[in-house]
Amino acid sequence: MIPAEAHGTIALRASACTSCMICVRECPTWCIELDSHTEQVSDPGARRPKTVNVLDAFRIDFGLCMYCGICVDLCPFDALAWSPEHDHAATTAAGLVQGITELQTAWPPTGPPTDN
Amino acid sequence: MTSQGRIDVAPADWEQVVSGLQREGFVLFDFITAVDRGARLEVVARVINPATRVPVMVWTTLPADAAELSSLSGIYLGATWCEREAAEMFGVRFIGLGDSRPLLLRASLGEPPMRKSSALVARAIRDWPGAAQSTDDGRQGANPSRRRQLPPGVPEGFLRDNPLDSDVSGDVR
Amino acid sequence: MTLHSLPALERRYRVTGHPELRVAILDVGLACCALEVGAAITAGMLVPEVSSDTGGDGCVVSVLLISGTVTDALAPGVIRAWGALEDPKLAVSFGACANTGGPYWDAPTVTKGIDQLIPISVYIPGCPPRPEALVAGLVRLARPAVLTHSDQSGESR
Ligand code: SF4
Ligand code: SF4
Ligand code: SF4
Repeated sequence: MIPAEAHGTIALRASACTSCMICVRECPTWCIELDSHTEQVSDPGARRPKTVNVLDAFRIDFGLCMYCGICVDLCPFDALAWSPEHDHAATTAAGLVQGITELQTAWPPTGPPTDN
Repeated sequence: MTSQGRIDVAPADWEQVVSGLQREGFVLFDFITAVDRGARLEVVARVINPATRVPVMVWTTLPADAAELSSLSGIYLGATWCEREAAEMFGVRFIGLGDSRPLLLRASLGEPPMRKSSALVARAIRDWPGAAQSTDDGRQGANPSRRRQLPPGVPEGFLRDNPLDSDVSGDVR
Repeated sequence: MTLHSLPALERRYRVTGHPELRVAILDVGLACCALEVGAAITAGMLVPEVSSDTGGDGCVVSVLLISGTVTDALAPGVIRAWGALEDPKLAVSFGACANTGGPYWDAPTVTKGIDQLIPISVYIPGCPPRPEALVAGLVRLARPAVLTHSDQSGESR
């Protein structure tokens, strides 16, 4: 039997994503796009404000995605995971592009599957 | 010369060495292909002795800009297929290859597609999402760490040297 | 290659769990994705209709299922298969290769989306999509908006 999460879809947990761009750059089909900006955040007690990336948009074009899982494996922050969702057919090619909202909806309630 | 089933030969000896192997019992032809090493092109043939199950790889090195080699199709008929493939994919000219019709490609794509100098044009004309940078909020010191990077698979200077017809981009999403 | 006999290769299926759907599928299985279509049949998600099975209502929709990598060399064959199918018909693009070129998006010999050549009613993402995704995609064919699209594509042909 195929594991439920295999070849389902890729889900995003936006709160864990640091906009590091690793997945975007390593994706073999160039199907991930990400927009972000930086903000200065002052922590109480810190001497200087620190710079953080803020995620504005995250899109995966599932028309192109080859479900290789490289993005899931390489994300240093476990912000991407396999999800057993598979009903993502669309009536237009553009309908296969998913943004933060859809990608978050697919986040598996059990958390990302482990290697073993 | 021989180490672990590998024989390196001069291009001039290629046909003779392989035909000698065939007489010694290496009657099973496996494949011929090439490896692009930049200025050099390595060509490799693998043959097997079915009685002992021992394989041998025969290697030779050609200049990339004048890649010519004797055909093995007179020794192993099956080499014709591999040589036709290596010819269209790597631009090797096999002297004495009877059937030189293209094998897998319908039409010439210009540069042999398996040469490293052959760019994947789709990669050159599509914007690489990995080149995007975070827009900073205008303050000093914001996010200096993100280098702009070149997309993988596009030789440096390709677009500068090959200005593309803008119509081409319609082909690629 | 003659394609005259292609419509004869169409097979009628019932979709398990969806009695409203009757489809006659012509599977253009061009690469690995075609195995998942076979898996859907083997797993009983698509059940071939026997000739005596005339029950159920609604017309049977012919579906051209493009599963696998369309190369520029093979694309004319896919177009002819589409032309040979009788109306009402719909085309389904199954898998990343058929949708956009997928893993071969940068290959000079691969068609970057079969929708450049024939009108696609449903795109099923995946590389390969799971057999369940095929069923989920076929179910979308039964939605009114998609069937309307079918009528239009039939007229404008
Ligand atoms: S699974 Fe592979 S192709 Fe799909 S988004 Fe991740 S890296 Fe890209
Ligand atoms: S690798 Fe992970 S943290 Fe980095 S941009 Fe991608 S999803 Fe976000
Ligand atoms: S989409 Fe993936 S599984 Fe389907 S034909 Fe292409 S490479 Fe094969």
